[in-house]
Amino acid sequence: MSAPIIKIDAISKSFGTFKVLDGLSMQVMPREKLALIGPSGSGKTTILRILMTLERIDSGHIQIDGEQLYHMERNGQLVAADERHLARMRQKIGMVFQLFNLFPHKSVINNVTLAPMLTKGMPRAAAEKRAMELLDMVGMADKAKAMPAQLSGGQKQRVAIARALALQPRIMLFDEVTSALDPELVEEVLNVLWRLCAETDMTMLLVTHEMGFAHDFADRVLFFDRGKIVEEGKPDEIFRNPKQERTQGFLKKIIAAGHRV
Amino acid sequence: MTQWSGYLGLILQGALITIELTLMGSVLALITAFLAGLGRLSRFFVLRALATAYIEFFRGTSIFVQLFWAYFVLPFIGISLTPLQAGVLALGLNVGAYAAEVVRGAIQSIGREQYEACTALNLGRWQAMRHVILPQALLVMLPTFGNNAIELLKATAVVSLISLTDLTFQAQVVRSQTGNTLVPFATILIIYFVLALIISWGVRSLERRMARGLDGVRV
Repeated sequence: MSAPIIKIDAISKSFGTFKVLDGLSMQVMPREKLALIGPSGSGKTTILRILMTLERIDSGHIQIDGEQLYHMERNGQLVAADERHLARMRQKIGMVFQLFNLFPHKSVINNVTLAPMLTKGMPRAAAEKRAMELLDMVGMADKAKAMPAQLSGGQKQRVAIARALALQPRIMLFDEVTSALDPELVEEVLNVLWRLCAETDMTMLLVTHEMGFAHDFADRVLFFDRGKIVEEGKPDEIFRNPKQERTQGFLKKIIAAGHRV
Repeated sequence: MTQWSGYLGLILQGALITIELTLMGSVLALITAFLAGLGRLSRFFVLRALATAYIEFFRGTSIFVQLFWAYFVLPFIGISLTPLQAGVLALGLNVGAYAAEVVRGAIQSIGREQYEACTALNLGRWQAMRHVILPQALLVMLPTFGNNAIELLKATAVVSLISLTDLTFQAQVVRSQTGNTLVPFATILIIYFVLALIISWGVRSLERRMARGLDGVRV
């Protein structure tokens, strides 16, 4: 049994008076594929944002790969992490957003090469070669010179995935990556995720409303409600045989809304 | 008629001074605008305070008075400027204060999701600003910068008060020498207008060039 790559220990987070996460603890093993499901406002997206250091925690601890994320040791004491420490920790983590967040003023290939050149000092030629491999992997090599405005939502999201992969993170966070897409474009993005699953050994955390995909893709499913994990288990257990009333209620609503499980 | 061509030459010489002032003033204004605009957004209180003080002071006092300070008062503390230097300094700092707010507003108009993408890609603050935020913000700034440049062009007329021989000054000269008011003032009216048109065309074509292929950045 290897050590967990993510270890979340009793973290809490409030936005104003609204407590999004309430003493949450969880662990993720290396290479594990995790689906986070639950009603909106349940805190699942907030977890990804906290792991990407886009939101700070109010209390608790997080370890990534055995190292504190928001704390560092100084003179034998744990103190709040500085920007340098955070930058080092971020190297292990990548994130893909619901709304792609591509850089609109840069071509597809420059979207992918920017961060490796700036943060890893990669020479342009090497960065472009690597970018083309990644764009090829997500089926976007022929659009390398296009501007984001010329792409469909599904294409934008595939570029965003290639851009995140370019930094070779060990953990990838996918925040509702198909929610903003037209139904016919969802599959091309999910296919890329399948490829990542088969061809890389990244740990993947997926916040999604695609229950069918979550069922097929994930090793483990966590059901969130009101900032807590209500139920977790293998996809079959959660989707076919949920034990908690709240999980049952949520899945019923999702199925009623036309989602395939 | 020969007499008028000589006077026209005088007015065109004045136009050159006006253009020179506008260009040099705009460069200074641009530099101070970025320094003060970025200063307003700084994490450091001292920089924010300095930038705010500069902007409020130069927006809140008259360009005439600023020019008189630059030319007549600074010599008392040992800084003697030529009329041109004083003109560029006063115009640049004055318009720069307005443009600084344009810089700040444009940077703040770039959506949070762009900053978050930068964080997720582990770009440093300055890297994100330099490669992602500013290039997009520049496009938002451009139209208002065009306005500022035209304001600056028109404000150059005040330098005639410190005996710099710009368009307005030369028109006064022609008027006093010929006794004709309409011709010199109509001439400089047209020249100012044409210069303003050139600035506005230049800025618009720059906008079009920069906006090519962009999405999510509204012009």
